[in-house]
Amino acid sequence: MTEVPFPPLSAEQPEAEGVLSTWFVDDGQHVDAGQTLAEVQVDKVAADVPAPVSGTVHLLVEEEAVVTQGRPIATID
Amino acid sequence: MTVTETPATPAPQSHRLTTAKAMADGIAEEMRRDPAVIYLGEDVGAYGGIFGSTTGLLDEFGPTRVLDTPISESAFIGLGIGAAVEGMRPIVELMFADFMGVCLDQIYNHMAKIHFESGGNVKVPMVLTTAVGGGYSDAAQHSQCLWGTFAHLPGMKVVVPSNPYDAKGLMISAIRDDNPVVYMFHKGVMGLAWMAKNPRASADVPDGAYTVEIGKAATARKGTDVTVVTLSLSVHHALDVAERLAPQGIDVEVIDLRSLVPLDREAILGSVARTGHLVVVDEDYLSFGLSGEVVATVTEHDPGMLRAAAVRVANPDTPVPYSRPLEQVVLPGPARIEAAIRKVLGG
Repeated sequence: MTEVPFPPLSAEQPEAEGVLSTWFVDDGQHVDAGQTLAEVQVDKVAADVPAPVSGTVHLLVEEEAVVTQGRPIATID
Repeated sequence: MTVTETPATPAPQSHRLTTAKAMADGIAEEMRRDPAVIYLGEDVGAYGGIFGSTTGLLDEFGPTRVLDTPISESAFIGLGIGAAVEGMRPIVELMFADFMGVCLDQIYNHMAKIHFESGGNVKVPMVLTTAVGGGYSDAAQHSQCLWGTFAHLPGMKVVVPSNPYDAKGLMISAIRDDNPVVYMFHKGVMGLAWMAKNPRASADVPDGAYTVEIGKAATARKGTDVTVVTLSLSVHHALDVAERLAPQGIDVEVIDLRSLVPLDREAILGSVARTGHLVVVDEDYLSFGLSGEVVATVTEHDPGMLRAAAVRVANPDTPVPYSRPLEQVVLPGPARIEAAIRKVLGG
């Protein structure tokens, strides 16, 4: 199992919170390594989250959820 | 006219994209296929476009094909026109349509007229992309639609996608078109995290290149009682209202124009012939614009088609206010659309 963390968008504030803006995949879907899983943002800085490995993705947070940087947002089996 | 069909299960060769990513995907497809395609504008490189229209393009195509320009719209739109007449296929981004005032001579006297004035001997295969629309308190100089102004001036095609599928397909059609095409994207349909979220702003989009024909409207929702002719973000408001009214026995047809020039008058007439009732929803200014053009399309053809006077829902000829409550009054939102539908049906 591979954890997918919320990416560190704010270097100055490691505990900064962001929002999971959009999921581009469904829970339980097969994903390929490199495929865009989600878009996240901290303040107005947005970033794509690519799948680190191929496998079945499990989503751990809902869209619009507030997440602290570095916390897992999904796992891939 | 084509009917937009949403597949029940996404085809395996598709990916869910926001409208912004679908637009960038279409640009990237054409840049891979044709080295003559370049993109230039303010903050389109490292920043990826302030509304996400060019995200990832600099990384893939480099700074000779994705060019950040100075804040000098007249100069870089002129640069694009020159490149186009010399055989390239530039896409030039005007950050906000509101900024047309500083570069309109390049747009309507040069980009739009060179083909005409050269007797058809010189083509300008250029795309002018620009962000439009309000709803997020960006006030009077950053919230206008102005598509009626571009459409009024002859010589340019004008397209206005409302969803990810059309954003990609119309972009590819615009790039391949030998005429100048103005491609106007509403900030509220782009699926941007920091704007109001719109559930239809992300959808499954086919991989690879495909086109959406310029000049063809889509039936966003079939209905029998009243035709709502609209475009851009207002399509989504109209669909929301239609879904709310359906259980009350009011069956609303929503026509998404997708293009202003050429205007799919057949689609408008075909729908109004079936429903006999017309509401036009247009986020641009009410007077001298698209909404009047749509009504005239019907009355010039056969005023007897209308079983009640047409109703227009548009910006009531005022600059867009900064104040959120005032802005919501000026914009053609769901409450005003619903009231117009009830009025045209005699409710």
